[in-house]
Amino acid sequence: MTTEILRPDGETGAAPVQLAAPLASLAGVTIGLLDNTKPNAGVLLDRLGATLAARTGARLGRRETKNAAVAASDQVLESMTEEVRVVLTGSAD
Amino acid sequence: MSEPIILGDETPESLWQMLDSQGWGDGLPIVAPTAARVDAALRLDSGDPDEVIAVLEPRAGLATRREIAINAVMAGCPPEVLPVVIAAVRALGSAEINLRGVNATTHPVAPLLIVHGPAASELGFNSGLGAFGPGNRANATVGRAVRFVLLHVAGAVPGPGDVSTQGQPSKYTYCVAENVSESPWPAYHRTMGLGVESAVTVHCGENPHNFHDMESNEPTGILDKAATVMATLGTNNAPISQGEFFIGLCPEHASTIAARGWTRDDVSSYLFQRARRSLSEVRAAFDLLAWDEWMMALREDDLVPVTGSAKNIKVFVVGGPGKHSCVIPSWGMTKSVTVAIEGSSTEETRS
Repeated sequence: MTTEILRPDGETGAAPVQLAAPLASLAGVTIGLLDNTKPNAGVLLDRLGATLAARTGARLGRRETKNAAVAASDQVLESMTEEVRVVLTGSAD
Repeated sequence: MSEPIILGDETPESLWQMLDSQGWGDGLPIVAPTAARVDAALRLDSGDPDEVIAVLEPRAGLATRREIAINAVMAGCPPEVLPVVIAAVRALGSAEINLRGVNATTHPVAPLLIVHGPAASELGFNSGLGAFGPGNRANATVGRAVRFVLLHVAGAVPGPGDVSTQGQPSKYTYCVAENVSESPWPAYHRTMGLGVESAVTVHCGENPHNFHDMESNEPTGILDKAATVMATLGTNNAPISQGEFFIGLCPEHASTIAARGWTRDDVSSYLFQRARRSLSEVRAAFDLLAWDEWMMALREDDLVPVTGSAKNIKVFVVGGPGKHSCVIPSWGMTKSVTVAIEGSSTEETRS
Protein backbone atom coordinates (compact mmCIF):
# COMPACT_ATOMS: atom_id res chain seq x y z
CA MET A 1 0.00 0.00 0.00
CA THR A 2 1.43 3.38 -1.00
CA THR A 3 1.56 6.54 1.11
CA GLU A 4 1.07 10.09 -0.14
CA ILE A 5 3.33 12.71 1.45
CA LEU A 6 2.47 16.40 1.24
CA ARG A 7 5.34 18.65 0.23
CA PRO A 8 6.64 20.89 3.06
CA ASP A 9 8.16 23.58 0.84
CA GLY A 10 5.17 24.97 -1.05
CA GLU A 11 5.08 27.77 -3.57
CA THR A 12 7.23 30.87 -3.74
CA GLY A 13 5.97 34.41 -4.05
CA ALA A 14 8.63 35.71 -6.38
CA ALA A 15 9.64 34.63 -9.86
CA PRO A 16 13.25 33.41 -10.11
CA VAL A 17 15.59 36.15 -11.24
CA GLN A 18 17.47 35.46 -14.46
CA LEU A 19 21.10 36.49 -14.68
CA ALA A 20 21.80 39.04 -17.42
CA ALA A 21 23.67 37.81 -20.47
CA PRO A 22 27.45 38.31 -20.19
CA LEU A 23 28.94 41.33 -21.96
CA ALA A 24 31.28 40.74 -24.89
CA SER A 25 33.70 43.39 -23.62
CA LEU A 26 34.15 45.60 -20.55
CA ALA A 27 35.82 48.40 -22.54
CA GLY A 28 34.04 51.65 -21.77
CA VAL A 29 31.56 49.89 -19.49
CA THR A 30 30.99 51.17 -15.96
CA ILE A 31 31.49 48.49 -13.32
CA GLY A 32 29.62 49.08 -10.08
CA LEU A 33 31.41 48.20 -6.86
CA LEU A 34 28.75 47.59 -4.19
CA ASP A 35 30.56 47.50 -0.84
CA ASN A 36 28.42 45.83 1.82
CA THR A 37 30.76 47.32 4.49
CA LYS A 38 31.89 43.97 5.85
CA PRO A 39 35.44 44.34 7.19
CA ASN A 40 37.87 44.33 4.24
CA ALA A 41 35.09 43.97 1.63
CA GLY A 42 36.02 47.40 0.31
CA VAL A 43 39.71 46.50 0.10
CA LEU A 44 38.89 43.43 -1.99
CA LEU A 45 36.40 45.22 -4.25
CA ASP A 46 38.64 48.24 -4.84
CA ARG A 47 41.62 46.05 -5.75
CA LEU A 48 39.48 43.91 -8.05
CA GLY A 49 37.86 46.94 -9.65
CA ALA A 50 41.19 48.67 -10.24
CA THR A 51 42.65 45.53 -11.81
CA LEU A 52 39.67 45.09 -14.14
CA ALA A 53 39.69 48.76 -15.11
CA ALA A 54 43.39 48.65 -15.92
CA ARG A 55 43.06 45.52 -18.03
CA THR A 56 39.85 46.32 -19.89
CA GLY A 57 39.40 50.08 -19.96
CA ALA A 58 36.24 49.86 -17.83
CA ARG A 59 35.15 52.73 -15.62
CA LEU A 60 34.23 52.30 -11.96
CA GLY A 61 31.22 53.39 -9.91
CA ARG A 62 31.12 52.81 -6.17
CA ARG A 63 28.33 52.50 -3.61
CA GLU A 64 28.06 51.30 -0.01
CA THR A 65 25.25 49.68 1.92
CA LYS A 66 24.54 51.11 5.36
CA ASN A 67 25.20 47.81 7.08
CA ALA A 68 26.16 44.33 5.91
CA ALA A 69 23.22 42.78 7.72
CA VAL A 70 20.54 44.60 5.74
CA ALA A 71 19.88 44.67 2.01
CA ALA A 72 20.97 47.63 -0.12
CA SER A 73 18.33 50.36 -0.14
CA ASP A 74 16.12 51.01 -3.15
CA GLN A 75 17.90 54.34 -3.54
CA VAL A 76 21.29 52.66 -3.85
CA LEU A 77 19.97 50.05 -6.27
CA GLU A 78 18.21 52.63 -8.44
CA SER A 79 21.25 54.87 -8.69
CA MET A 80 23.41 51.87 -9.64
CA THR A 81 20.89 50.79 -12.24
CA GLU A 82 21.18 54.19 -13.88
CA GLU A 83 24.97 54.33 -13.85
CA VAL A 84 26.47 50.86 -14.23
CA ARG A 85 26.17 47.79 -16.46
CA VAL A 86 27.97 45.24 -14.25
CA VAL A 87 28.00 44.91 -10.45
CA LEU A 88 30.61 43.30 -8.23
CA THR A 89 29.39 42.54 -4.71
CA GLY A 90 28.65 39.71 -2.30
CA SER A 91 31.70 39.75 -0.04
CA ALA A 92 31.18 37.94 3.27
CA ASP A 93 33.57 37.61 6.21
CA MET B 1 -1.37 23.14 -3.86
CA SER B 2 1.73 21.14 -4.85
CA GLU B 3 1.46 17.56 -6.06
CA PRO B 4 1.99 15.01 -3.26
CA ILE B 5 4.90 12.58 -3.27
CA ILE B 6 4.02 8.90 -3.52
CA LEU B 7 6.02 6.54 -1.31
CA GLY B 8 5.92 2.75 -1.44
CA ASP B 9 5.35 2.66 2.32
CA GLU B 10 5.77 4.69 5.47
CA THR B 11 8.75 2.86 6.94
CA PRO B 12 11.65 4.86 8.38
CA GLU B 13 13.79 3.68 5.48
CA SER B 14 11.35 5.05 2.88
CA LEU B 15 11.08 8.34 4.73
CA TRP B 16 14.87 8.67 4.98
CA GLN B 17 15.17 8.04 1.26
CA MET B 18 12.53 10.68 0.52
CA LEU B 19 14.23 13.26 2.78
CA ASP B 20 17.61 12.56 1.22
CA SER B 21 16.33 12.84 -2.33
CA GLN B 22 14.50 16.11 -1.65
CA GLY B 23 17.09 17.73 0.62
CA TRP B 24 14.53 18.11 3.41
CA GLY B 25 14.59 17.62 7.17
CA ASP B 26 17.07 18.26 9.97
CA GLY B 27 18.84 14.91 10.05
CA LEU B 28 16.49 13.37 12.62
CA PRO B 29 13.54 11.04 11.98
CA ILE B 30 10.24 12.64 10.98
CA VAL B 31 6.54 11.87 11.05
CA ALA B 32 5.16 11.37 7.52
CA PRO B 33 3.02 14.42 6.64
CA THR B 34 0.08 12.54 5.17
CA ALA B 35 -3.11 14.36 4.20
CA ALA B 36 -4.95 12.72 7.11
CA ARG B 37 -2.48 13.99 9.70
CA VAL B 38 -2.31 17.47 8.19
CA ASP B 39 -6.10 17.67 7.99
CA ALA B 40 -6.33 16.65 11.64
CA ALA B 41 -4.18 19.64 12.57
CA LEU B 42 -6.05 22.01 10.27
CA ARG B 43 -9.43 20.90 11.65
CA LEU B 44 -8.50 22.65 14.91
CA ASP B 45 -7.66 25.85 13.01
CA SER B 46 -10.51 28.10 11.92
CA GLY B 47 -8.59 29.90 9.18
CA ASP B 48 -8.43 29.28 5.43
CA PRO B 49 -5.70 26.65 4.80
CA ASP B 50 -4.53 28.62 1.76
CA GLU B 51 -4.17 31.90 3.64
CA VAL B 52 -0.59 33.16 3.42
CA ILE B 53 0.56 33.88 6.97
CA ALA B 54 3.97 35.18 5.93
CA VAL B 55 6.32 35.41 2.95
CA LEU B 56 9.61 34.04 4.19
CA GLU B 57 13.04 35.08 2.89
CA PRO B 58 15.41 34.28 1.30
CA ARG B 59 13.27 31.92 -0.84
CA ALA B 60 10.20 34.18 -0.71
CA GLY B 61 8.33 31.03 0.31
CA LEU B 62 4.61 31.34 0.92
CA ALA B 63 3.91 30.10 4.43
CA THR B 64 0.25 29.17 4.20
CA ARG B 65 -1.61 27.60 7.10
CA ARG B 66 -1.43 24.29 5.21
CA GLU B 67 2.33 24.44 4.64
CA ILE B 68 2.85 25.34 8.28
CA ALA B 69 0.67 22.39 9.30
CA ILE B 70 2.64 20.03 7.01
CA ASN B 71 5.88 21.09 8.67
CA ALA B 72 4.32 20.83 12.12
CA VAL B 73 3.25 17.25 11.42
CA MET B 74 6.73 16.40 10.11
CA ALA B 75 8.23 17.80 13.32
CA GLY B 76 5.99 15.62 15.48
CA CYS B 77 3.67 18.34 16.78
CA PRO B 78 0.38 17.31 18.35
CA PRO B 79 -2.46 18.97 16.35
CA GLU B 80 -3.49 21.36 19.11
CA VAL B 81 -0.20 23.32 19.11
CA LEU B 82 -0.61 24.49 15.50
CA PRO B 83 -1.83 28.00 16.54
CA VAL B 84 1.47 28.53 18.38
CA VAL B 85 3.48 27.56 15.30
CA ILE B 86 1.32 29.82 13.12
CA ALA B 87 1.80 32.74 15.53
CA ALA B 88 5.57 32.23 15.50
CA VAL B 89 5.65 32.14 11.69
CA ARG B 90 3.55 35.31 11.59
CA ALA B 91 6.14 36.97 13.82
CA LEU B 92 8.99 35.75 11.60
CA GLY B 93 7.38 37.51 8.65
CA SER B 94 7.52 40.88 10.43
CA ALA B 95 9.89 43.43 8.96
CA GLU B 96 11.51 43.98 12.38
CA ILE B 97 12.81 40.43 12.42
CA ASN B 98 14.83 40.97 9.20
CA LEU B 99 14.48 37.28 8.33
CA ARG B 100 16.61 37.46 5.19
CA GLY B 101 19.50 38.57 7.34
CA VAL B 102 18.72 36.13 10.14
CA ASN B 103 18.75 33.20 7.74
CA ALA B 104 21.60 34.31 5.51
CA THR B 105 24.17 35.50 8.06
CA THR B 106 27.38 33.72 9.06
CA HIS B 107 26.30 34.27 12.72
CA PRO B 108 24.72 31.20 14.40
CA VAL B 109 21.41 33.00 15.17
CA ALA B 110 18.23 30.99 15.69
CA PRO B 111 14.71 32.20 16.54
CA LEU B 112 13.87 31.61 20.20
CA LEU B 113 10.14 31.15 20.85
CA ILE B 114 8.79 32.15 24.26
CA VAL B 115 5.17 31.10 24.85
CA HIS B 116 3.17 33.31 27.24
CA GLY B 117 -0.17 32.96 28.99
CA PRO B 118 -2.52 30.08 29.76
CA ALA B 119 -1.91 28.48 26.34
CA ALA B 120 1.51 27.48 27.64
CA SER B 121 0.21 25.22 30.39
CA GLU B 122 -2.94 24.16 28.54
CA LEU B 123 -0.90 22.90 25.58
CA GLY B 124 1.70 21.25 27.80
CA PHE B 125 4.72 23.52 27.30
CA ASN B 126 7.51 23.36 29.88
CA SER B 127 8.31 26.66 31.58
CA GLY B 128 10.02 25.09 34.58
CA LEU B 129 12.87 22.71 35.34
CA GLY B 130 14.99 22.10 32.24
CA ALA B 131 12.79 24.23 29.99
CA PHE B 132 15.53 24.69 27.39
CA GLY B 133 16.39 20.99 27.50
CA PRO B 134 14.90 17.73 26.28
CA GLY B 135 11.89 15.78 27.48
CA ASN B 136 8.86 17.88 26.60
CA ARG B 137 6.92 17.28 23.39
CA ALA B 138 5.41 20.75 22.97
CA ASN B 139 8.71 22.61 23.47
CA ALA B 140 10.66 20.19 21.30
CA THR B 141 8.26 19.88 18.40
CA VAL B 142 7.04 23.48 18.15
CA GLY B 143 10.61 24.74 18.01
CA ARG B 144 11.44 22.04 15.49
CA ALA B 145 8.36 22.89 13.40
CA VAL B 146 9.50 26.49 13.12
CA ARG B 147 12.94 25.29 12.04
CA PHE B 148 11.30 23.07 9.43
CA VAL B 149 9.33 26.04 8.10
CA LEU B 150 12.60 27.95 7.84
CA LEU B 151 14.37 25.07 6.11
CA HIS B 152 11.61 24.15 3.68
CA VAL B 153 9.51 27.27 3.09
CA ALA B 154 12.07 30.02 3.72
CA GLY B 155 14.88 28.04 2.10
CA ALA B 156 17.29 28.44 5.04
CA VAL B 157 19.17 25.31 4.05
CA PRO B 158 22.78 25.19 5.28
CA GLY B 159 24.83 26.20 2.26
CA PRO B 160 22.51 27.87 -0.23
CA GLY B 161 20.25 29.64 2.28
CA ASP B 162 22.06 29.62 5.63
CA VAL B 163 25.79 30.25 5.77
CA SER B 164 26.19 30.15 9.54
CA THR B 165 29.87 29.46 10.10
CA GLN B 166 29.38 26.95 12.90
CA GLY B 167 25.62 26.78 13.36
CA GLN B 168 24.37 26.24 16.91
CA PRO B 169 22.31 23.52 18.64
CA SER B 170 19.28 25.81 18.90
CA LYS B 171 18.92 25.63 15.12
CA TYR B 172 17.29 22.23 15.74
CA THR B 173 14.65 23.51 18.15
CA TYR B 174 14.44 26.55 20.44
CA CYS B 175 11.21 27.00 22.37
CA VAL B 176 10.31 27.54 26.02
CA ALA B 177 7.37 28.90 27.96
CA GLU B 178 7.48 31.82 30.37
CA ASN B 179 7.16 30.66 33.97
CA VAL B 180 4.38 33.06 34.87
CA SER B 181 3.20 31.11 37.89
CA GLU B 182 6.57 31.63 39.61
CA SER B 183 7.26 35.09 38.24
CA PRO B 184 6.92 38.07 40.60
CA TRP B 185 6.01 40.27 37.64
CA PRO B 186 3.11 40.36 35.16
CA ALA B 187 3.38 38.12 32.08
CA TYR B 188 5.93 39.41 29.61
CA HIS B 189 3.47 40.00 26.76
CA ARG B 190 1.31 42.17 29.04
CA THR B 191 4.27 44.47 29.61
CA MET B 192 4.58 44.72 25.81
CA GLY B 193 1.03 46.05 25.69
CA LEU B 194 -0.75 42.99 24.30
CA GLY B 195 -4.25 42.73 25.76
CA VAL B 196 -4.63 39.03 25.01
CA GLU B 197 -4.39 35.99 27.21
CA SER B 198 -1.74 34.09 25.28
CA ALA B 199 1.04 35.14 22.95
CA VAL B 200 4.40 34.11 21.60
CA THR B 201 7.60 36.15 21.42
CA VAL B 202 10.21 35.47 18.75
CA HIS B 203 13.74 36.65 19.56
CA CYS B 204 16.46 35.85 17.04
CA GLY B 205 19.52 35.24 19.11
CA GLU B 206 22.34 33.07 20.34
CA ASN B 207 22.12 30.04 22.58
CA PRO B 208 21.56 30.89 26.26
CA HIS B 209 24.71 32.08 28.07
CA ASN B 210 24.44 30.77 31.62
CA PHE B 211 25.30 32.70 34.77
CA HIS B 212 25.01 31.37 38.29
CA ASP B 213 24.75 33.19 41.58
CA MET B 214 24.33 31.19 44.76
CA GLU B 215 25.61 33.82 47.16
CA SER B 216 23.65 37.04 46.74
CA ASN B 217 20.71 38.16 48.81
CA GLU B 218 20.56 41.45 46.93
CA PRO B 219 19.54 42.17 43.33
CA THR B 220 22.85 43.85 42.56
CA GLY B 221 24.94 40.76 43.27
CA ILE B 222 22.91 38.65 40.86
CA LEU B 223 22.64 41.28 38.18
CA ASP B 224 26.31 42.27 38.31
CA LYS B 225 27.09 38.73 37.19
CA ALA B 226 24.53 38.98 34.41
CA ALA B 227 26.17 42.25 33.34
CA THR B 228 29.56 40.58 32.97
CA VAL B 229 27.99 37.98 30.67
CA MET B 230 26.36 40.73 28.59
CA ALA B 231 29.47 42.91 28.33
CA THR B 232 31.55 40.61 26.17
CA LEU B 233 33.19 41.85 22.99
CA GLY B 234 32.32 38.58 21.28
CA THR B 235 28.64 39.16 20.56
CA ASN B 236 27.17 41.06 17.63
CA ASN B 237 25.45 43.36 20.10
CA ALA B 238 28.75 44.94 21.19
CA PRO B 239 29.09 46.99 17.97
CA ILE B 240 25.32 47.24 17.21
CA SER B 241 23.34 49.54 19.49
CA GLN B 242 19.88 48.35 18.42
CA GLY B 243 20.68 44.80 19.59
CA GLU B 244 18.50 43.24 22.27
CA PHE B 245 19.30 41.00 25.22
CA PHE B 246 16.76 38.62 26.70
CA ILE B 247 17.47 37.90 30.36
CA GLY B 248 15.96 34.58 31.40
CA LEU B 249 15.85 34.74 35.19
CA CYS B 250 15.23 31.57 37.17
CA PRO B 251 12.39 31.88 39.72
CA GLU B 252 14.75 32.06 42.72
CA HIS B 253 16.81 34.91 41.24
CA ALA B 254 13.63 36.73 40.20
CA SER B 255 12.20 36.29 43.68
CA THR B 256 15.33 37.67 45.36
CA ILE B 257 15.31 40.67 43.03
CA ALA B 258 11.59 41.40 43.38
CA ALA B 259 11.71 41.01 47.18
CA ARG B 260 13.63 44.29 47.27
CA GLY B 261 10.87 45.99 45.31
CA TRP B 262 12.58 45.90 41.94
CA THR B 263 10.35 45.89 38.87
CA ARG B 264 11.18 44.39 35.48
CA ASP B 265 12.11 47.91 34.28
CA ASP B 266 14.40 48.36 37.28
CA VAL B 267 16.28 45.22 36.22
CA SER B 268 16.67 46.50 32.66
CA SER B 269 17.81 49.94 33.81
CA TYR B 270 20.36 48.50 36.22
CA LEU B 271 21.81 46.16 33.59
CA PHE B 272 21.96 49.03 31.10
CA GLN B 273 24.13 50.94 33.54
CA ARG B 274 26.33 48.00 34.55
CA ALA B 275 26.90 46.12 31.29
CA ARG B 276 29.53 48.45 29.85
CA ARG B 277 33.05 48.44 28.41
CA SER B 278 35.51 51.27 27.91
CA LEU B 279 34.97 53.08 24.64
CA SER B 280 38.62 52.75 23.65
CA GLU B 281 38.44 48.99 24.16
CA VAL B 282 35.37 48.64 21.92
CA ARG B 283 36.76 50.96 19.26
CA ALA B 284 39.96 48.90 19.16
CA ALA B 285 37.93 45.71 18.62
CA PHE B 286 35.73 46.77 15.71
CA ASP B 287 36.26 48.51 12.37
CA LEU B 288 32.60 49.45 12.10
CA LEU B 289 30.20 50.56 14.83
CA ALA B 290 26.46 50.59 14.13
CA TRP B 291 25.78 52.83 17.11
CA ASP B 292 23.29 55.51 18.02
CA GLU B 293 24.61 59.05 17.56
CA TRP B 294 24.94 59.71 21.29
CA MET B 295 27.18 56.65 21.66
CA MET B 296 29.41 57.76 18.81
CA ALA B 297 29.87 61.08 20.65
CA LEU B 298 31.21 59.48 23.86
CA ARG B 299 34.78 60.27 24.94
CA GLU B 300 37.59 57.74 24.96
CA ASP B 301 37.59 57.35 28.73
CA ASP B 302 33.81 56.87 28.94
CA LEU B 303 32.17 53.55 29.53
CA VAL B 304 29.87 52.54 26.70
CA PRO B 305 26.80 50.31 27.14
CA VAL B 306 26.47 47.09 25.14
CA THR B 307 23.13 48.25 23.76
CA GLY B 308 21.66 51.66 23.00
CA SER B 309 18.75 51.65 25.43
CA ALA B 310 17.49 49.96 28.59
CA LYS B 311 14.40 49.09 26.55
CA ASN B 312 16.54 46.64 24.56
CA ILE B 313 17.04 44.56 27.71
CA LYS B 314 14.03 42.23 28.07
CA VAL B 315 13.35 40.25 31.24
CA PHE B 316 11.33 37.07 31.65
CA VAL B 317 11.22 34.20 34.14
CA VAL B 318 11.98 30.63 33.06
CA GLY B 319 13.27 27.48 34.71
CA GLY B 320 12.83 25.59 37.96
CA PRO B 321 14.55 25.28 41.35
CA GLY B 322 18.18 26.34 41.51
CA LYS B 323 20.18 29.49 40.93
CA HIS B 324 21.09 29.47 37.26
CA SER B 325 19.84 32.16 34.88
CA CYS B 326 20.84 33.14 31.38
CA VAL B 327 21.54 35.94 28.95
CA ILE B 328 20.44 35.53 25.32
CA PRO B 329 22.07 38.14 23.09
CA SER B 330 20.48 38.85 19.74
CA TRP B 331 21.99 38.62 16.29
CA GLY B 332 22.10 42.41 16.29
CA MET B 333 20.20 43.70 13.26
CA THR B 334 16.88 42.29 14.35
CA LYS B 335 14.13 43.15 16.83
CA SER B 336 12.00 40.73 18.81
CA VAL B 337 8.31 40.50 17.98
CA THR B 338 5.44 39.42 20.24
CA VAL B 339 2.15 38.33 18.64
CA ALA B 340 -1.14 36.96 19.92
CA ILE B 341 -1.88 33.26 19.59
CA GLU B 342 -5.09 32.89 17.58
CA GLY B 343 -8.05 31.90 19.70
CA SER B 344 -6.55 33.72 22.66
CA SER B 345 -9.21 35.83 24.36
CA THR B 346 -8.74 39.52 24.88
CA GLU B 347 -9.11 40.98 28.35
CA GLU B 348 -12.29 42.64 27.24
CA THR B 349 -13.93 39.41 26.09
CA ARG B 350 -12.91 37.63 29.28
CA SER B 351 -14.53 40.11 31.62
